[in-house]
Amino acid sequence: MKLGFFVGVLGVLLLSHAAYSTIQYRALLKITEDEFTGAPIHVIGELILGLVLCLWAGLTVPGKFLSILPDSDENRVVSLSSNMDFMIFNHRGRAFPAAIDLKLK
Amino acid sequence: MAGHDDSSVSEKKSNDISDLPTFNVENMQSNMKVIYYSRTFMSIIGGVIAGVLGFTSLMGFIFYFLVMAITSVGLAAKAGFSVHSYFDSWNRIILDGFLGGLMSFVLFWTFAYDMVHIF
Repeated sequence: MKLGFFVGVLGVLLLSHAAYSTIQYRALLKITEDEFTGAPIHVIGELILGLVLCLWAGLTVPGKFLSILPDSDENRVVSLSSNMDFMIFNHRGRAFPAAIDLKLK
Repeated sequence: MAGHDDSSVSEKKSNDISDLPTFNVENMQSNMKVIYYSRTFMSIIGGVIAGVLGFTSLMGFIFYFLVMAITSVGLAAKAGFSVHSYFDSWNRIILDGFLGGLMSFVLFWTFAYDMVHIF
């Protein structure tokens, strides 16, 4: 989680450095009175690297995917909370077949 | 019934009870939030890159769709390509939120283009 955050910050720093390099390149073009046809190669490489780092950070930082299957291991409920006054069991979950052969964790 | 408590809600879709596509809605909403955050962040980054490279008009929008496609592939890889254990259909990963980041993309695109090429 923290590693992803720092990778994201590094990617954003690379992008801002690439932007600054492009500004300097344009100033140079203004002196030589050329037209801006495309960014220099090292700037494009830096942008691609920044994109890859930010993509990795953008996928890992927001959090993991949680399983939605009701019978996967992490979704099992093996103990009830102690507040039994408000718990009802007379609901639609009665209609599900019971998985009696599962062992306790 | 053992195995269910109050906080996890199941959803019934068909009449036959033995092969219902039920899933844990709370986790599914959490997964949708993760996708939304990822797409928004990648739209912003794509906007900055499009501005720095000097893309104009159609090229910029094509670049946006390219960045969104790359994000979709990245999200599918994050789910391990077994999408059905985290979402209820492929459309959630591929199409959902595709156009939601477009406004953020255009904002940062014009911002970066202005900073680099005009000012």
